[in-house]
Amino acid sequence: MIKFEQVGKRYPNGHVGLHELSFRVRRGEFLFVTGHSGAGKSTLLRLLLAMERPTTGKLLLAGQDLGQITNAQIPYLRRQIGVVFQNHQLLFDRSVFDNVALPLQILGLSKPEISKRVGAALERVSLADKAEQFPGELSTGQQQRVGIARAIVHRPALLLADEPTGNLDPRLAAEIMGVFEDINRLGTSVLIASHDLALIARMRHRMLTLQRGRLIGDGEAV
Amino acid sequence: MSATRMPPPQPAQRVGAAPKKHESNTPGDDPDFRSQLTAWLESHRASLVDSLRRLTKQPIGSFFTCLVMAVALSLPMGLALLLDNVERLGGSWQRAAQISLFLQVDASEAEGQALREQIAAMDDVAAADWISREQALQEFQQQSGLGEALKELPENPLPGVVLVTPREVDKVTLEALRLRLADLPRVEQAQLDLVWVERLTAILSLGDRFVFGLTLLLVMALLLVIGNTIRLHIENRRTEIEVIKLVGGTDSYVRRPFLYMGALYGLGAGLLAWLVLAYGLGWLNDAVIRLAGLYGSDFALAGVPAGDGLSLLLGAVLLGYIGAWLAVARHLNELQPR
Repeated sequence: MIKFEQVGKRYPNGHVGLHELSFRVRRGEFLFVTGHSGAGKSTLLRLLLAMERPTTGKLLLAGQDLGQITNAQIPYLRRQIGVVFQNHQLLFDRSVFDNVALPLQILGLSKPEISKRVGAALERVSLADKAEQFPGELSTGQQQRVGIARAIVHRPALLLADEPTGNLDPRLAAEIMGVFEDINRLGTSVLIASHDLALIARMRHRMLTLQRGRLIGDGEAV
Repeated sequence: MSATRMPPPQPAQRVGAAPKKHESNTPGDDPDFRSQLTAWLESHRASLVDSLRRLTKQPIGSFFTCLVMAVALSLPMGLALLLDNVERLGGSWQRAAQISLFLQVDASEAEGQALREQIAAMDDVAAADWISREQALQEFQQQSGLGEALKELPENPLPGVVLVTPREVDKVTLEALRLRLADLPRVEQAQLDLVWVERLTAILSLGDRFVFGLTLLLVMALLLVIGNTIRLHIENRRTEIEVIKLVGGTDSYVRRPFLYMGALYGLGAGLLAWLVLAYGLGWLNDAVIRLAGLYGSDFALAGVPAGDGLSLLLGAVLLGYIGAWLAVARHLNELQPR
C-alpha cells in the first residue's frame, strides 16, 4: 500500500524533515507513527497527502510515485485518502451534514446517495442526531468525530490522522481510537501520527518511531 | 461511545488513479451517464445557489459593486447610443441634400422654367425648384442685410437657380448626378454642398473611435473591479478552499462558485446599466424634443433597443465571468492546504 524507499525531505531553508526513511505498510494495516514534536510525523503525513514532495528517494502509494505525481492528479489521489486533523479543519458556516457531505459532493454523487452515506458515517461516530447543527455548537470531541465522519464517508483506501486525540480526554480518545479500529476492520489502512504512547501501547498495533526525521523503531507497540 | 456498525465497505481500491471522465472514483459508484449528468447539474445548481446566497447575504456591498460596474458599462454604451442618434439625425439632414444649378446670367425666365421641368422629369430626381434672378436677389437682400447697398447696383448680378433634390443620397450617386446636370445647356455651375455632411461624418467617426477607446479602458477597469471583488471573496473563503482541496476538490470545482459569482455580478451590473441608460435617455429626451421643436423638427432620441440591451447584458455577464476566472486563476495556486 505504502512504500518509503530512502525518502528524504529537505526544506529550502536547509531544515531536514526526514532522513532516508524506508518502510512499507501493507494494505489494511493499522499503524502508528510516533515521536516527539519535530520528529517528522507531520512531514510524513504531508508527503502522503502530496502536500509536499520528497526531495530524495521514492515514495509509492499503491504503486504510484508521489514524487512524480502531477498537480492535476493530486485531487484524485486525495479522494482516496481520508484525513483527520487535530484541529478538525471543519467549516463553521456549514452544518455537520454539509461538512461530512463535502467529499461526496466533490465526487459528484447524487443527493440520495450523499444523504445515505452521510447518515451512515454520522451514525458510525454517534452523531446522527447532530446532523443539522453547526460545528460551533458542538464540543471539541464531537467536532473531532465530525472530522472523522468526513474522513471516512467516501470509504477511503487509506485513513491518515494527525494527532487525532490531542485535545481529547483519555475516555474520549479511547472511543475515537475504537472508531479507527472499526474502520480498519472494514479494510481501510489506517496510519495515525500520535505522541500519546500510553494510548498507542494499549492498542497493540505496529508503531514506527521517528526521531529528528530518522526512523529509529519499527515494531508492535508494547 | 457506542460506535454503530457501518455497512460493509468495498475493498480498498487503488489509490491515486485519476478517473477518466466522471468525478466519482469510489468503488461501487459506477453511475451511468444520466446520474453523472444529474450530479453534474446538481453540482452547478448548488454552486449557483451558493453564490447567489452569498451575494444576497451582503446586499449593500453587492449592490455597490454592481453599481460601479454598471457605471463603467453605461458610459460607453450611453455614448454609443447618443452617437447613433446623432448619426440618425445626420442621415435625415443628408437626405435633404440638394444640388444648386446656377444658370448663366443671361438665361431667361422661360429657359429656367424649361430646365426645371426637364430636370424634374429625371428618374433620379425627387424634386426641382426654380428660383428666378429676382427672387434670388430679394432673398439675398433679406438675408445679407445689404438691402440698400444692393439697390445701388446697376443690374442684378445674381443668376437664376434650379434647386435639385435627388432621390439617392450617397455621395457617388450625387456626384454623378451633379456632373450630368452641369452638362445641361445654360448651366454655369452645379454645386453640391456635402462638406458639412462629410464633416459630421468625420466627427461621428472620431466619436466612434473615442467610444471604442473608452470601452477598452472601462472594460479593463471593470475586469479589475470584478477581479478585486472576487479576490476578496476568495480571501474570505480561504479555509474552505483549503479544506476542499484537501478532500480532493479539483481546481475547476474550487473555481466554479466564483465564476458563477462573477457572472451574477455581471448580470446585476448589466441590468442596472440598462436601467440607467433607459432612464437617462428618457430624461434627456424631453430636452432634445423641446430643442428640436424650436428648429421645426420632430426629432427624438431613440431609447435602448432591446437587441442592444440584451447584448449589454450578455457582455456584462461575460465580463463578470472572465474577470472572476482571471482572479481565481491568479489566486488559486496560492491557496494550498497547510
